[in-house]
Amino acid sequence: MPYIMLKSPSRLLAALALGSSLCSGPAFAEMTKSLNLNGTTGLIDMPSGEAQDDAAFTFSTALVGTITRATISFQITERLSASFRFQTWRDWDAVIAGDSKFNDRSFDLRYQVLQEGRYLPSLTIGLIDFTGQGLFSSEYIAATKSLGERVKVTAGLGWGRLGSDGSIGQVFGDRPAVAEGNGKPNTDQWFRGDAAPFAGVEVKLSDTWTFKGEYSSDAYVLEDDERGLIDRKSPFNFGFEYQKGPNTRYGIYSLYGTEVGLVFHLVLDPKSRATGGVMGAAPVAVKARPPRSADPEAYDGGWVTQPDAGPLLRKNLAKRLAVDGIVIENLAYTATTAQIRIRNNRIDAGAQAIGRTARALSNVMPASVEVFEIVPVVNGIGASKVTIRRSDLEQLEFASDNATLLRQRTMISDAGPLPANAVGDDGLYPRFRWGLKPAFRMSEPLKGDLGLRLSASYDIRPGLVLSGSIYGRVVGNVDRSGDPSDSVLPHVRTDGSRYTKFGNPALESLTLALYGRPAADVYSRVSFGYLERMHAGISGEVLWKPVDSQLALGVELNYTKQRDTDGGLGFGEYDYDVVTGHVSAYYDFGNGYLGQLDVGRYLAGDVGATLSLDRVFVNGWRVGAFATVTDVSAADFGDGGFDKGIRFSVPLNWALGNQTKNNFGTTLRANTGDGGARLNVDGRLYDSIRDYHTDALDPEWGRVWR
Amino acid sequence: MGQGLALKSWTRTATAVLIGSLLAGCGNDKSEPSPVGAAVGNMAKATLARVTGRAAAPAAQPAQVTRADIEKFGIPILRAVIPLRGADALLTVSDAKGSTVTWATTDGTSFTLRDGVLIQTRGLGADLMSSQAPSASALSSGGSHQRVYFFLGADDQTTRRTYDCTVTVDGAERIEIFGRAHSTTKVTEDCVRPQGTISNTFWFEGPVIRKSRQWTSGGIGFIDFEGVVD
Repeated sequence: MPYIMLKSPSRLLAALALGSSLCSGPAFAEMTKSLNLNGTTGLIDMPSGEAQDDAAFTFSTALVGTITRATISFQITERLSASFRFQTWRDWDAVIAGDSKFNDRSFDLRYQVLQEGRYLPSLTIGLIDFTGQGLFSSEYIAATKSLGERVKVTAGLGWGRLGSDGSIGQVFGDRPAVAEGNGKPNTDQWFRGDAAPFAGVEVKLSDTWTFKGEYSSDAYVLEDDERGLIDRKSPFNFGFEYQKGPNTRYGIYSLYGTEVGLVFHLVLDPKSRATGGVMGAAPVAVKARPPRSADPEAYDGGWVTQPDAGPLLRKNLAKRLAVDGIVIENLAYTATTAQIRIRNNRIDAGAQAIGRTARALSNVMPASVEVFEIVPVVNGIGASKVTIRRSDLEQLEFASDNATLLRQRTMISDAGPLPANAVGDDGLYPRFRWGLKPAFRMSEPLKGDLGLRLSASYDIRPGLVLSGSIYGRVVGNVDRSGDPSDSVLPHVRTDGSRYTKFGNPALESLTLALYGRPAADVYSRVSFGYLERMHAGISGEVLWKPVDSQLALGVELNYTKQRDTDGGLGFGEYDYDVVTGHVSAYYDFGNGYLGQLDVGRYLAGDVGATLSLDRVFVNGWRVGAFATVTDVSAADFGDGGFDKGIRFSVPLNWALGNQTKNNFGTTLRANTGDGGARLNVDGRLYDSIRDYHTDALDPEWGRVWR
Repeated sequence: MGQGLALKSWTRTATAVLIGSLLAGCGNDKSEPSPVGAAVGNMAKATLARVTGRAAAPAAQPAQVTRADIEKFGIPILRAVIPLRGADALLTVSDAKGSTVTWATTDGTSFTLRDGVLIQTRGLGADLMSSQAPSASALSSGGSHQRVYFFLGADDQTTRRTYDCTVTVDGAERIEIFGRAHSTTKVTEDCVRPQGTISNTFWFEGPVIRKSRQWTSGGIGFIDFEGVVD
């Protein structure tokens, strides 16, 4: 049989690998939502009235003469988008002596007030660099209208930099100077000072080529008049863009009569898998039991008295589940009910892991077992209990809309205690695991380290694990000058370059962690040891989260000492210890929007609150932003005034299509200061258990039959 | 100086290990395979298949395997072709529950048909997860019915499509499958919903669907099935 199959499956596989882009490519019926050199929606250097498709995640790199702009943008909702930009001016010392390079980070927000209609244009109001030192600050309103299927025209009015050339006067009064090192939203400046119009046109030449031309209202005062980096001779910019596939776009432009601009955009759609759908082999079929009337003996529960039944059933189940990377923690049964506790190591969707486990149970358990209780286990503790009736599984396997029907008959509840008769252990405890893997650490757009991480863990008993890791950088361009920071606060975070320079390789962590379920709906964690790169000590956390609740509440308390920069075990370099802790509220707003509020004391001893908002997608993509305000003054915090940033996480299986739970992601901060810094401890409870609660399982429930 | 030297040699060793482990990583924890390694493996396989398969090969493919080759195994064989994917596979039975039969490739792609009418697929990406489909006898006798497809969209969520369908009996047609001729009646099922239309075609040999072209999902399009060996 394999002989004749030989050719066909490999062809099918090849076709799947190659043909996957067929399903995800957009039809070029309408013009693409275009992006500009600033990595935001717009023309060349000017913004436009359009918005990207909902949830579009774009990464742009642009060269404008000696200026580099790297920008990450996210379309948070259909109308609201945010951008984080890292900008470098080279030859900064051309006219004024000083550093040869100057870096600045900026945040943008834009809101589409009006969506394009038959006669009305789309209209967007936007803020560029609205919290920083103001080197790039502007505000604008821009309108864009398509004329047919090939031409779009844009006109707008700008303030700040976008109001610096060809001003029509001040509409809303004077623009005050930015307070030094402020970092708070520059509300005083918004839409103040000179206003100037800008305009442009975009022409689609073919499915891949686009021409753009614009009249810019940015005088480049900083770059031209002050620093002599760019010679701005003309307000006109024009150029061409080439779209390669649905995800990449290149642009080349003539800028301001003297410069050449280059841009590369990576446009990702977190909502749609790059592979068009979830790959991975088909499941085994549900095994049909004989009708009770035909074979009543099969339903006899006498088998439970056989002493070898447990180990045998467990072994057979383990063999079937190993195919999907599912490990059995425990199996408990009576003549009618089986409870299996599983560790899902590979399948990205909890619902699919539950479905696969139910199918395996139907193939292995004697016919008298009617109720399957599946308990996903995370860090040794039960996250929830999914109860499925075996006859529902049998009846619905081929039914129309079987996922909805099965969900209606499935109960998801608190995991509850481990049954007394559980058949545990199968060489799982104690168990030593280790791995050596390449690891990428990104610290800001275009900056990161590629290195190796040696990690090991020793599972002592369920919920008790000793683990550690060592990281060594091989290549990278992260700051490792080794200079102590000039922060007036305790250097709880700002000596990063010292940790990078002196600790390579460094012991990242070495901790003993104990996870528990003290009561129904309550989860707990205690971690002790070298918790993170810069701090060591003890951290305790308790979380209340009913499985079907949108709200969760947590408390965390830590006592830590600051570690030496050499990545070793010592504490001699900084004589600093601190008690930190937070009270946290988590809320799931639905449609994938998660909010979190933490109030408490931070590492530098400052007191304040962090507000974060994340958008999570069914396939595991996650994009979010956070801001922390504490009693540290803006001046003491340093550049940026307070802690704020964005974070994202991309599941590798979204891009590659194969079964893995690995992610690529990072947190990018506007400025790293010592205020508002929290301990980076592994295994925080909310994120680890949420995957198996109803708010996460329900949206992905369609995969239970996958 | 000494430290500099030590750092250098560390860097050199690490670079070597990094390159060595980039594709695979190493360790004793086999539950999580290296995604990079797997992806490179898939790409290599795909490239290899493309090189050996070539563009003109699909037409020649069936000729390489003769009916005698297939029949000597003495088991039922169904052929599935996915034009949009350029895929062509011979399937064997992996599960049968009454008239609902699941056919699978050896690499774990499966197709479930009820009396020859496709109701589910697995392992294709944009899989048809379930469907409300007409019975074979309803199709052979003409008439109209409602059809509902539930498939996994690119967003990992179930997408539902409901169609109103009409069946037309087109008449007799002689078809050939792996060198064997069959006298069939061709039946077309035209399905409409406000956003578009699809049509499925069935070739009935008596009460049995011998051959069919059935729509599956937005991402997969149509699949052609041929009953090669019963």
